[in-house]
Amino acid sequence: MIKNYFKIAWRNIMKHKVFSLINVIGLTIGLSASFVIGLMIYYDATFDTFHNDSDRIYRVVTDFNSPEEKDYNPGITLALEDAIKDNLNLEVVSGFYIERPSKVENKELASEFKWPNFVIYTDANYFKIFNYKFLAGDDTNVLSNPNNVILTEKRAADYFPNTAPDDIIGKTLVYNDSLNITVTGIVENFIERTDFVFEEFISHPTLFQTRLRDQFLNKQWDNTNSNSQLFVKLKASSNLATVQNRLTDLAKEHEDEEAKEYGYEQIFTLQPLADIHFNEDYGIYDWSKGQASKTLLTNLALVALFLLVLGCINFINLNTAQASQRAKEIGIRKTLGSSRKQLIGQFMGETFLLVFVSALLSLALSKWLINVFSDFVPEGLSFELFKTPLILIGIVVLLLIVTFLSGFYPALVLSKFNTVSVLKNHLAVGDKKVKLRKFLTVFQFTIAQVFIIATLLVGKQINYLLNKDMGFKTEAIVSIRSPRSESELSKKELYAEKLRAISQIKKVSIGGAAPASFSTNSTEITYMDGENEVKSELQFIFGDTNYSKLFELEILAGRSIRNDTIKELVINETCRNRLGFITPEDAIGKTVELNEEDVAIVGVMADFHQRSLKSEIKPMALRGDWYRPRWSQFQTVHIAFQNKSPNGLKGALSEIKNAYKSVYSEIDDYEVKFMDESIQKFYNKERKVSKLLNWATGLSILISCLGLLGLVIYTTNRRIKEIGVRKVLGASLIQINTLLCKEFLILVAIAFIVAAPIAYYGINNWLQDFSYKASISFWVFIASGCAMIFFALLVISVRTLQAANANPVNSLRSE
Amino acid sequence: MINTLLSLNEATRTVNSGSNKVALLDNIDLQVKEGEFISLMGPSGSGKSTLLNCIGMLDNFTGGGYTFLGEPVHSMKERNRSKLYKEYIGFVFQAYHLIDELTVYENIETPLLYKNVKSSERKAMVADMLDRFNIVGKKDLFPIQLSGGQQQLVGIARALIGKPKLILADEPTGNLNSKQSTDIMELFSQLNKEGVTIIQATHSENNASYGSRIINLLDGKIVSE
Repeated sequence: MIKNYFKIAWRNIMKHKVFSLINVIGLTIGLSASFVIGLMIYYDATFDTFHNDSDRIYRVVTDFNSPEEKDYNPGITLALEDAIKDNLNLEVVSGFYIERPSKVENKELASEFKWPNFVIYTDANYFKIFNYKFLAGDDTNVLSNPNNVILTEKRAADYFPNTAPDDIIGKTLVYNDSLNITVTGIVENFIERTDFVFEEFISHPTLFQTRLRDQFLNKQWDNTNSNSQLFVKLKASSNLATVQNRLTDLAKEHEDEEAKEYGYEQIFTLQPLADIHFNEDYGIYDWSKGQASKTLLTNLALVALFLLVLGCINFINLNTAQASQRAKEIGIRKTLGSSRKQLIGQFMGETFLLVFVSALLSLALSKWLINVFSDFVPEGLSFELFKTPLILIGIVVLLLIVTFLSGFYPALVLSKFNTVSVLKNHLAVGDKKVKLRKFLTVFQFTIAQVFIIATLLVGKQINYLLNKDMGFKTEAIVSIRSPRSESELSKKELYAEKLRAISQIKKVSIGGAAPASFSTNSTEITYMDGENEVKSELQFIFGDTNYSKLFELEILAGRSIRNDTIKELVINETCRNRLGFITPEDAIGKTVELNEEDVAIVGVMADFHQRSLKSEIKPMALRGDWYRPRWSQFQTVHIAFQNKSPNGLKGALSEIKNAYKSVYSEIDDYEVKFMDESIQKFYNKERKVSKLLNWATGLSILISCLGLLGLVIYTTNRRIKEIGVRKVLGASLIQINTLLCKEFLILVAIAFIVAAPIAYYGINNWLQDFSYKASISFWVFIASGCAMIFFALLVISVRTLQAANANPVNSLRSE
Repeated sequence: MINTLLSLNEATRTVNSGSNKVALLDNIDLQVKEGEFISLMGPSGSGKSTLLNCIGMLDNFTGGGYTFLGEPVHSMKERNRSKLYKEYIGFVFQAYHLIDELTVYENIETPLLYKNVKSSERKAMVADMLDRFNIVGKKDLFPIQLSGGQQQLVGIARALIGKPKLILADEPTGNLNSKQSTDIMELFSQLNKEGVTIIQATHSENNASYGSRIINLLDGKIVSE
């Protein structure tokens, strides 16, 4: 019986090749998207789920509330660990401190490793929360003595190549030239997905021999460092709320009196282990790996859902439209003794066959898609993940759902046919469902239309962001950071000197970050305006005397800084406004209090954007490098080129690199950052959204138009006789084409009317993220509506013109 | 003693046409004994096909009684009715009504699928039937590749495969030429001799004469027997 069904299903598929193809394409697109996106969700959702009692493990993080904003820090104050260790009734409390050693040496092999990453100082408790498998060494009494280290297998292979784990135990590594540390254990790297990427675990007491000694001897409540991490494991019996309350109380107890006065508040929060991979407020340990974003995943899932629904709608539309063609078979089967249930079973079987074929195609496509969408797909995700049992079950369930969604209604319609009327050719069933088909078509085109409008408007906004004048020069400027261990200014000056000799270079400036960057350095200043005390947050950019000229910062009054180390400020307009000066000239010569020192304002510069255009312009000041040589902010050399053309730039860049090599000994970190590219990076997220939208738009238009094509083919086939008669009566090609296109274009137009407000609402919401927005123009809606009608017309005309062109004799003779 | 196969008692079928009730069949009384070969005659619209459909349980009487093999069909549930006609009734149509997507072999086999006959048994039964109708060579052809007469042969073979007691034939030769018609009618009388009860609707006096009994219908009423 089943075999028979599949046989007839296959013959039906082959008989209606165009319709089957449309169905398969639609479903394949939907399924491929679902597969890849499902895989991504599964991948991200299964981070760190393998730890024992992972639902009881929490990271303690710090939130800062101030009247202006909320701030998040993944670390905690060092004092907190001791405070909760014994009196919070927790199963395990484990703190660790992340610190990159500048150098690790294996004297035996005379090998040297600079700045190894993922090194932490911790104790045995860490290994109680996170179960590592010990390949060698004692796993009962770990890290209790100073100067011990446990390495992961991977790190051990770097330090001690080709050595068995057991042989490494007891060997010594030299950290930062002075610390002799013995390897006491080798653990296996976590095999499963994890954000705990640490490779070296140095015993906690060792900290007292490092630069951090003072901090750990004298633990402060008012200092929070993101490197200082704290994990707790709750007892199975403990109540989360109680622990949280206790933490809140602790924060209150140790509140700084002055901070309280200004409305600042510090809160310790328990962050569930499962949240770490998703919560961008607190971040993960390996910054180079993208963090999963729940919003992005939700959006992706929505896109997949829409594409899948569009595919299903095509299926429903085409199958109900075609119903009359199958009516005869159904009638006969009924007279031969088939029950309605059996017929429904048969049609569902046919649907499943198509869905299955699409699923196979989708699997093949997924492999390719994972590459195309590498911007979205996490790095570690591979095609192999499809072999996971849960994923396989998920796919089967998805296929069944899709089969049901797309197959059930047509099956119901088809099996309902009245036998007698079918066999007597009194058939009107296919036409009764016209309303539903129209509704579904409108639905499809509404989705496509929303995507089109959204794509255009998001594109417009991104264009606006990238092209809006930042307020300073961004073209033909590159920045090069000095090696991180380089603290001497003389070398940077030497480098700048060498650069000035290169002919294509117009200007060179030594300073901190560029005017717009991701890094911020800010402090609070106070200005005494007679009786009134005005307080303001003030961000700094650091630069030498050339800085403002190189970036073409406009000085509105006064002058730029005169010297690198004189304590004077050039404030921006926003700062001037905040401090209450009416004109730029008013501010000149006034002093503000900054870190308990009086600093003079010598100039006012025009506002420019310090970050992406998502954020407002904040009070900012340009200043020199006041605290050198103790502490220098001048880490970067900025270079402006003579002309914008890329000709000769290549030569200049290699000269710049050569100069770098000749000045510095450490050249691993060499990186040229183009200012305009850095600005583009502000909008990486937006560009991702845009790329996603482009694809979603293209695919939804494709699926919808294919569905439309199917309906048009069906309708023109039914009306072929009418077309013949009209032609005989003298109708022109255009008249017939208009007649045929009209009913479909009306649907597309209705879809536009429905879609426009939805798209407007959605985009308006999205734009709220930006302080500076492009307008939502009327023409975008008109253009996208026209585009949609154009696409639809193109698709419809393919078929209608063909039908209108046909010789009427052929269609009329067959009767 | 010959059993009564079915009996109709004041069977009526009315339909609503606008606000009017139109009686397609009006108080039909009819007894059919096993082994009869009945020809229904009458002009178009006299109710021949409706009567056949109602007897064949594709359609329902709206009033009166219908008893089939002693069981009251009019008060039966859909499922039992379907079981009854699957078991005892075979249809032959004017337009053959073969399934275009299935081969000759598969068309004949289909009723057996719905009766859940085992695969090996099905094979034997279909092979027998192909043999009997001399269409073994055509078993893998599709209906469209056959002549009208051959298609109707397949249609009859398909009606017979379930070993029905009653064959209902609605103008079985209506689309055939006279030579093919004669062949089909010969076949019917042969089947009738083997014990199958046949009710056929026909316009042709000639075809009607093959039957053992002729019933004339006019405007939904039996006018003469």
